[in-house]
Amino acid sequence: MTLPEPARRIRVRPLTRANLSIQATLIGLTLLTVYSFTTFDSRNIELEQAVRDMFDNFRLLLLEPRLKNVSVLEMLHQLFVTAGLGLLTTIFGAIIAFFLGLLAAQNLAPRWLTDVIRGGTAFIRAVPTVLWVLFFAVSVGLGSVAAIIGMTFHSAGYLIKAYSESFEEIEPGVLEALRASGANWWQTIFQAVVPASASALLSWTFVRFEINFSTAIAMGATAGAGGIGFDMFMASGFYLDLRELGAFTYAILAFAIALEWGATRLKANLGPQRH
Amino acid sequence: MALLQVEALTKRYGGETLALDNITFDVEPGEFVGIIGPSGAGKSTLLRCVNRLVDISSGDVRFDGVSVPTLRGAALRRQRTRIGMIFQHYNLVNRLSVIENVLHGRLGYKGTIQGILGLYTEEEKRDAARIIESLGLSEQMYKRCDQLSGGQKQRVGIARALVQQPKMLLCDEPIASLDPNAAKIIMDTLSDINRTTGITILVNLHQVDVALRYARRIIGINRGRLVYDGEPERLSNEQIYQIYGSEAGDLILDLRERYAA
Ligand SMILES: Nc1ncnc2c1ncn2[C@@H]1O[C@H](COP(=O)(O)OP(=O)(O)O)[C@@H](O)[C@H]1O
Ligand SMILES: [Mg+2]
Repeated sequence: MTLPEPARRIRVRPLTRANLSIQATLIGLTLLTVYSFTTFDSRNIELEQAVRDMFDNFRLLLLEPRLKNVSVLEMLHQLFVTAGLGLLTTIFGAIIAFFLGLLAAQNLAPRWLTDVIRGGTAFIRAVPTVLWVLFFAVSVGLGSVAAIIGMTFHSAGYLIKAYSESFEEIEPGVLEALRASGANWWQTIFQAVVPASASALLSWTFVRFEINFSTAIAMGATAGAGGIGFDMFMASGFYLDLRELGAFTYAILAFAIALEWGATRLKANLGPQRH
Repeated sequence: MALLQVEALTKRYGGETLALDNITFDVEPGEFVGIIGPSGAGKSTLLRCVNRLVDISSGDVRFDGVSVPTLRGAALRRQRTRIGMIFQHYNLVNRLSVIENVLHGRLGYKGTIQGILGLYTEEEKRDAARIIESLGLSEQMYKRCDQLSGGQKQRVGIARALVQQPKMLLCDEPIASLDPNAAKIIMDTLSDINRTTGITILVNLHQVDVALRYARRIIGINRGRLVYDGEPERLSNEQIYQIYGSEAGDLILDLRERYAA
């Protein structure tokens, strides 16, 4: 049997407002990109030479790393200073975010309170971490203290949103069951909400630690927060030593991989068990 | 004296939905009451008015001599400890073990800090273990609840309600998500509990045949109104039509005849 010939082509993707605006955006961005290429000022640049230089620099950076102005021990020490800054601000942020996240979850707190906290944290998140650090630097001076306060601030804003959304994932029936047995709010939180959302909280905290680690490097270079970021700043801007910069880059890479590995292991232990 | 007195109970959700309309009935200690009615009739709302999971619009509910509508805070929680509740979807914390879930039934008796830290007395733990064993779950005691079958989960739900040492169990469609075998085990278990411990049982069911077989009193609800209250034997065909509406009523009677044959 043959199927009747379809009268019209059948659209798979409906022509909605959302789809249209996505397509318009993509076309707009494409046109902008093409336009910007035509307007580059490339008069003084020898393209061939520039490309060769670039690969030369990459070679120094990636294939011939070595330390000169600092020792290996010194570098490790600075790496841990940076990691410490990232960890400290993550932990501070996580503690603040745990409690405020409970009050920002619509299944756990009254609507007016969740609205107030969500509005406040949206504002905190909208301002980049670096600006918060500079903002606090006005009162405490540029340095590690401003970095800690500013980074904690932004971490809390980020984690409050992430945590509260994880808290809201819990089945309403579970909360109802504990309430029905006479449990109070705090008991319900720690006996049902926390166990149910523990692995989500942990993943979010790790994601934030990774963000804070890289922010801490940048803070060392720009906000005088010390650590390996400052050494990198010196190597690239002061000594012009790409080989040393390469060594720092590899050290950071190794540390980030170790971090990722640890996070995966931890989550595997907390995740749903298999038979 | 009646254990539960419901008097002119009315419940509105928002302005418009009249979920319960002027309901009155008493329940004596030790009764096994089946509440039947079509979906949306107000069965779940009725149970939730008894332990005040929802606020009551007007009328009175007295449990064990205490008037429920105005209870707040600690007094409300104390009242709730005396009433166990069992749910269609079990409502367990899946990540925790069976015994941890069962012990949640003790939280209402504990201080905030002990509850938060999960510090239970040896006596409470022994009691929980005994109940778990009596429901045939001793091998599952330390398993996480997401590893259990539906029937096992519901038995954990029953155990959690029983460690409260309640005077009454409210069961909201306890077998609606179970296969017939597991459903029979759960209904037999509830029946056993009622007979051996004298705990009063109110169970919402949408299966009339199950209600007729297990309950010794039927309350029929339609659109928030109480349309039948009496023995299962005296429930007539007209009354089933009245509870369920004509077409569904036909189907139910059909089943009933086949079941009787
Ligand atoms: N939380 C709620 N908010 C608004 N309306 C509700 C809520 N819960 C139940 N209702 C309404 O109340 C009526 C009774 O619902 P319910 O008690 O769940 O009936 P049943 O358990 O018999 O199916 C229905 O019309 C339902 O839509
Ligand atoms: Mg219901």
